[in-house]
Amino acid sequence: MSACTYSVGTVTEAHTAGHIAADDSALVARLRDGDERAFEEVVSSFYPSMIAVARGYARTRAVADEIVQEAWIGVLKGIDRFEGRSSLRTWVLQIVANIARTRAVREARSAPYSSFETGDAQPAVEPERFRGPDDPFPGHWRSYPTDWRTLPEERLVSNETLAVVKQAIAELPENQRIVITLRDMTGCSAAEVCDTLGLSPENQRVLLHRARARVRARLERHLDG
Amino acid sequence: MVEPLGIREHGYTCREVVDVASEYVEGALPPEETTLFELHLNFCDGCFTFIDQIKQAAALSRRVSEDELPEPLRLGLLEAFRDWKRS
Ligand SMILES: [Zn+2]
Repeated sequence: MSACTYSVGTVTEAHTAGHIAADDSALVARLRDGDERAFEEVVSSFYPSMIAVARGYARTRAVADEIVQEAWIGVLKGIDRFEGRSSLRTWVLQIVANIARTRAVREARSAPYSSFETGDAQPAVEPERFRGPDDPFPGHWRSYPTDWRTLPEERLVSNETLAVVKQAIAELPENQRIVITLRDMTGCSAAEVCDTLGLSPENQRVLLHRARARVRARLERHLDG
Repeated sequence: MVEPLGIREHGYTCREVVDVASEYVEGALPPEETTLFELHLNFCDGCFTFIDQIKQAAALSRRVSEDELPEPLRLGLLEAFRDWKRS
């Protein structure tokens, strides 16, 4: 679990107040002072979200790691200019996205975000799960989903179940994978994801919805099967 | 199974509930839509459970172990930090 200390509230405050949020300002001051402990902390706590953004553009994990490294060098160069218009993490993630995009262009590949609108049109739940137009209750469930709250906790959060979730996320289309990784795995806020990836709130939600729906479907197969 | 009598009168069909589930969970449904949506959930165990499953899927994702910072990268970054400090 990454330390996600940058809550929605912090981002919003930083946006509206136009100064560095309290959490960030102490951290940024320590970084500017050359505090190695602060740097190591922030490097490891931001890593999962940074690598998620970088992976959206990079062909391999090694290239994504290079992007993360390059991004940190850019962050250090620019840390004196950080004004806190966004949270520190959002700012860092934007630098990652910029570097990754520049490299993707240089390598003459199109970035995944250029096609954010289209995506797959796979429904959240298979249409067969619902009653047809000739049924007295069209559009209603044929049979209800099962209530996972009645499952023993050990089964729901077993390593086996978590492996299913991990696999389901890994197999998602790229856009959906990045959004769900940032939102649900690393705990970024919706605003943070939109700012980093240049997505509209609506598109962010559509991608998150499709991603969660697919993870849900995989869990259903696993838990009910 | 109990037939959900008059479900359409509550504004949403189950199929529609599924489509806007994340909008609801994210608090992005307009207030009047939210009222209709919740009315459906009150009457429909299937959709209530579906919304719970979506939330559970998100919560479980949170528990999946994340990518760890690789040691060579950590060392490389520390080196870069020391260089930056000296400059
Ligand atoms: Zn329903």
